[in-house]
Amino acid sequence: MFPSKSVANPDLEVTSSRRTVEGRQVDEAVASIFHTVLFHRSLGKFKYKQEGSYSVGTVGYEDVDCDFIDFTYVCCSSDNLDRNLKREISEFSEALRGNDGPGSGQISLEFFQKKKNRWPFQPECIPWEVWTVRLELIKLNNEHERQKCREKVGDMLTEKILYIAEVMNRHEYVPKMPNQSELDLIFDTSYPDVQPYLFKVR
Amino acid sequence: MATVKLSIQDKKDLDKFTKFLALKAAQIIVQSRLGEKVQTKCKPHSSGTDWFNLAIRDLPEVLAEAKRALCGEVVTARLPLCVEISLRTVEGDTMMLETWCLGVLPEQCDPSVRVTYTVYNRMGILLKSLVSVTRVTPAYKLSRLQGPDSYVICYRIYMGEPQLHNLGEGYNQVRVGQLCTPVGTLHLSVSYRTKLTISPQSTCRDNSIMLKSDHFHPDLSPRHLRYQQSEDNSASLSDTIKVGAFADSCRQPQSPLEPDLEMPNVPFSSLLTPRQQSPPQPSEPSVATGGGTETDDDGNGNVTPHCDSRRSSCSVVSGHEDFIMVDLKTPFAGGNTNSELGAFYLECQSAPQLKTFSEQPTLAEQVGDITKTLEAFETSMQEYDEMLNSLCLSDNNN
Repeated sequence: MFPSKSVANPDLEVTSSRRTVEGRQVDEAVASIFHTVLFHRSLGKFKYKQEGSYSVGTVGYEDVDCDFIDFTYVCCSSDNLDRNLKREISEFSEALRGNDGPGSGQISLEFFQKKKNRWPFQPECIPWEVWTVRLELIKLNNEHERQKCREKVGDMLTEKILYIAEVMNRHEYVPKMPNQSELDLIFDTSYPDVQPYLFKVR
Repeated sequence: MATVKLSIQDKKDLDKFTKFLALKAAQIIVQSRLGEKVQTKCKPHSSGTDWFNLAIRDLPEVLAEAKRALCGEVVTARLPLCVEISLRTVEGDTMMLETWCLGVLPEQCDPSVRVTYTVYNRMGILLKSLVSVTRVTPAYKLSRLQGPDSYVICYRIYMGEPQLHNLGEGYNQVRVGQLCTPVGTLHLSVSYRTKLTISPQSTCRDNSIMLKSDHFHPDLSPRHLRYQQSEDNSASLSDTIKVGAFADSCRQPQSPLEPDLEMPNVPFSSLLTPRQQSPPQPSEPSVATGGGTETDDDGNGNVTPHCDSRRSSCSVVSGHEDFIMVDLKTPFAGGNTNSELGAFYLECQSAPQLKTFSEQPTLAEQVGDITKTLEAFETSMQEYDEMLNSLCLSDNNN
């Protein structure tokens, strides 16, 4: 399992050998990485006053204990955000773990900004940061192996959280703060409690 | 000088932001070690205490402690700020687990960066990274398993270079993040112990040894250091304790605590006592037990911390105090046999007293007895001599 990050240009994507997890750990492993990224990439809700001035709300956070991995991660306190992310991840997980599943695969969290296009064309989506997790499934034979794997995947995720913190604190490109009229081109304003940068999971 | 002169307002803002960065960082670190899951709500409108657009609760005790360490307004000049996390067992052994350090490198500065916008937002990101990273160091798992029967996690906040010599061999250092400001680069890192086995050689019986070993360190002088340490709320931490093999598993859950009171009100209150102004004194054992007593008194109605760990599962404590008889419920055995065995054991344990000891004569009687005995011996002296002589004679014959 390896989350790699690329900015706009796919050539920058870091690749690494695939990491292994057990089937039922897939959802939690991916969620812990994506939620940590989204926690960093979500702001409080913008409330516009007149004359272009706005106030920013406050982001709450909560601890999540994993069931199948010895690991706790932090995510934004937003049920809707969690629900949407979990749904996307479980679609991936089911496809990966299905009977005729490939046994390995990758899932990406892509941040993008929209660029208005001439009518009647849809706005163009320009990715500015992509996080990719590659996974390879393994079969475990007994409880002992399972316990070992719980710890091993936890250690692996620890490394990834440290990596995410490192990248976030390099303060690389993030889109400029938009005007009120262009807010939807940069942020996902559909959530009532948080305002993440526009993202999609694929 | 190529550096652009910082406006007075910017400088003031920067100092204020740095101060709140330090205060909020201390809150995040200490709260992550309370042994509970943290949950804060999103708010559509930030209030005055919601710095960096991040909902970080302010524990009054931690805030007071951090403010005391910071001691004044111009924080940037006084960094680094350290938050030390250690573990203390019920036996009183202490082990330092990790030290978080917020420092500044004045030589790496970026005069062009906007204080009110960029620096403020990046401080928010740094704190988010801190929230995430505090959950992945080894001390996090330990703190979730703490309890009054096993160990508690303690913290202390101080200014000055991090004291890492108590982290044991091969400790790890991890950078949480950094950000450039017009007066230097602020950086946040953690050093943590990797060898977690507690042994008499590697640990100190109490903090006195740890602190005295560095007696002449300038940061430990009374002027520089505000030393304090406190226990976490054992009452609110016990939900996650693993129950030992012979421990009473039907312990009462700590339900009387209201959700709002789950933060360690009573234990941290010891931080507010006047002795905080004192230099790092060897912490007296009584301080430790005093804290524990307070906690127990608050949560369980118990008075002594010793009883807390042994209560109800101990049926008999012998006169020697060091032996506890556990009333075992043996599977498949009849209730009578068990109590018979217990009764038998008790009889052996507390054998009836000899009459000699129960009917002690008075001193006068005893003195009288001695004189009488002596007189009797004197009168019978002739007899003894004769006996001795006869023995000698019989020896010669052989």
